[in-house]
Amino acid sequence: MQRRELLRGLAALGLLGSWPMGALGAGNAGGAVSVDELPALEGELTLYLGRGEGGLYEDVIEAIRKRNPKLTLNVRRGPTVALANTLVAEAEAGVQQADLFWAVDSGSLGLVSEAGLAKPLRETARAGLREGFRYEDWAPVSGRVRTLPYNTDRLDPGQIPDSIMALPETDLSVGWAPAYGSFQSFVTAMRLLEGDKATRDWLRGMKDRARQYAGELGVVMGVSRGEVDIGLANHYYTLRLKAGQPDAPLELAFTRNDAGSLLNASGVMALRDTDLAHNFIRYLLTQEVQSYLASEAYEIPMVEGVALPEALPAAAGDNPPSIELTRLADVRPTLKLMREAGVL
Amino acid sequence: MRQWPLSPILAAPVALVALLPLLVLLDLGADAESLWDPQWLSVFGQSIALTGLTVLGALLIGVPLAVLTAYVKLPAQRLWLVLLSAPLAMPSYIGAFTFYAAFGPGGEVEQLLGLPTPDMRGLLGAAVVMTLYTFPFVLLTTRASLRSLDASVLDAARTLGLSLPGALWRAVLPRVRRGIAAGALLVALYTLSDFGTPAIMGVDTFTRVIFVEYNAFGLSQAAMLSLHLLAIVGLILFMESRLGTEREHPGRTLVLHPGRWTLGLGIAIVLVVFSLAVGLPMGLFGVWLARDGMSGFDPTVAMNSAMAALLAALGAVLLALPVAFAALTGRFGRIMERVTYLGFGVPGIVMGTALVYLGLQVTVLYQTLFLLVMAYILRFLPLAVGAVRSTAARLDAHLVQSARLLGASRFEAFRRVSLPLTVRGMAAGAALVFLEAMRELPATLLLRPTGFETLATQLWQVYEAGYFGRAAVPGLLLVLISGIGLVLMLSGERGRNYA
Repeated sequence: MQRRELLRGLAALGLLGSWPMGALGAGNAGGAVSVDELPALEGELTLYLGRGEGGLYEDVIEAIRKRNPKLTLNVRRGPTVALANTLVAEAEAGVQQADLFWAVDSGSLGLVSEAGLAKPLRETARAGLREGFRYEDWAPVSGRVRTLPYNTDRLDPGQIPDSIMALPETDLSVGWAPAYGSFQSFVTAMRLLEGDKATRDWLRGMKDRARQYAGELGVVMGVSRGEVDIGLANHYYTLRLKAGQPDAPLELAFTRNDAGSLLNASGVMALRDTDLAHNFIRYLLTQEVQSYLASEAYEIPMVEGVALPEALPAAAGDNPPSIELTRLADVRPTLKLMREAGVL
Repeated sequence: MRQWPLSPILAAPVALVALLPLLVLLDLGADAESLWDPQWLSVFGQSIALTGLTVLGALLIGVPLAVLTAYVKLPAQRLWLVLLSAPLAMPSYIGAFTFYAAFGPGGEVEQLLGLPTPDMRGLLGAAVVMTLYTFPFVLLTTRASLRSLDASVLDAARTLGLSLPGALWRAVLPRVRRGIAAGALLVALYTLSDFGTPAIMGVDTFTRVIFVEYNAFGLSQAAMLSLHLLAIVGLILFMESRLGTEREHPGRTLVLHPGRWTLGLGIAIVLVVFSLAVGLPMGLFGVWLARDGMSGFDPTVAMNSAMAALLAALGAVLLALPVAFAALTGRFGRIMERVTYLGFGVPGIVMGTALVYLGLQVTVLYQTLFLLVMAYILRFLPLAVGAVRSTAARLDAHLVQSARLLGASRFEAFRRVSLPLTVRGMAAGAALVFLEAMRELPATLLLRPTGFETLATQLWQVYEAGYFGRAAVPGLLLVLISGIGLVLMLSGERGRNYA
């Protein structure tokens, strides 16, 4: 029921006091704009939304709909890569259905951008974004940080190295999901930061101590069940599992300034250069939406001055490596490395 | 003077349309970087092993249960059939995930009941799960064939001193091997093209390689690999087509009256299978629902699912009729019939993308309900074709000839003789397509009208995000609506016992 109350809160807006994170964010509203300052949205918009995030993005969309009764918003949800492929196919056939593409991984945005379908981001939207995340033709909406979830019954935080490259030298058993997109982005980041050879050695070193899972939720469940000591996963799976089972023997650890603490982001791009599409992007970057995604989806705000999710340890997102996120779309050399190392 | 048979002429355009998505794949795959990697050989082996084990499991469960539901007088006859077919409405990845979460050390069963259970992972775990979610293919096609058998042969075998199981084994099952094989074929193709279950169970199948490529922005590579997969599909199709069948005279349907113990055992097996395949996921969703709390649900979603699946079921049976009959007219017809099966062996996400390209050729239809239903029909046509063909194959050609001799037109002979005698196959085919369309995901996501949500898309959304409690309501509705749909379609059988 909590979810519905939040929805009402978001719709009523201005009622920032009823927001769990509102007070935190409002204090130092550096870049974040409030919804009240934005023009009303009017007309018809079609949004392709890569993955649904359990209706949490949908809550945001619903709130924007309620606040803008003259807006007709059509949403198509699907796997991110499949939607990116669809956009490219549509463009080849000379059909355009979508005004906006909101994707959970920056690689898909890179694919669409490379096909020349993205319109440049306007300065009004770009200005408020975190330093280092202001891109030409897309705006990051919410971030996920790479983490090391570990089992507190089996492990002491002191046993965990603070460099991801040192992990193969430990005697920890590790859960990972090599087929999962976020993992491949992480290896791509390692490849870009440390080079091919170091990455291949790392993969080979890890291979013997790693247990494979299908996805990173599986990794986190495996860690909490004690099947492995430690896992490699996006941060929010752990926070969500803990929200359902607060007693689970599960905590998060972070590495410093390397691929192991990569901050990747979902993002949105305009496919039609209209005021309406650009203003919709600005809605996603408001104080209200950003703090909602932080508090409810445990995602990391990408706008300056919005607080991190409450359950996330303060160390998170402190030392992300510096990397242009759309470069992470270059996965194919990564797959080749992973195959050579025999982990895929 | 011999008239040219009509069915191949009607079947040809259907087969041609079924071939189109594969041509799209060929076009997409032309840019692929590598044609073959020796590393894939072991992956191929895993795919074949999983398929083999699953087919075996589906036969072991499906055939006896088909005999039970076809011949044994049970209280609430139809209920048992519905319970047993319900697993076809559950997306197998949901089943696989709940099995993984329920069993093993630290799993939900251990947490809730304190019972240690073995881990459900690996090839065997995947085969068990795939079996549970595919055996109704065998059950429904076998049952349809069994119901159209004449009981007198069994009676004769019994009179000649065979025990009941012996008589069933030697005088009944050989005569429905075509129906059994049709079901086994569907199980094999479904298993080959499924991604979710082997991925969750940690089995490295060929579909996983395809999926990884697709997600790494390698659409053309994924398309090329899907065509490789079709090599196995082709082999399986060829093997199945080698099975001949004898024509059967229609007659009285057999009724068995087993002893109380045998009956009890049968019902117990039905209940165990149902509770594993449907009860376990539903129960776990319930537990998670209690843990996470309720959330809103929009009933139009259920309507959307039911409507699209129903239209697909009707359309598929309609298009399957000429193809199934054409398959009985000769080599050309058989090839056309085999062609309609190929698409069923292509992984859904790749097939969905191919259908996007196809749909974009007719821009007026793109992202309309019509196109979505067409996509379901194309994808699931083999389900209807197989079911119709296996009953039509046993049709005595003399019956039609007699009708023609007595002055019936070709159409009248079809309407009054062939059609009523294949209506069971049609009902079974429609039921299969309905259930599959209810759970279909990748093509639905890509081809539906924007904003058109179905139960399967809702399940996917909450599953992807890890909010499993919210899967309870759509999951339950999926099973419920499938049950209702099944009852409606199988009631087409009623009152058609041609004695």
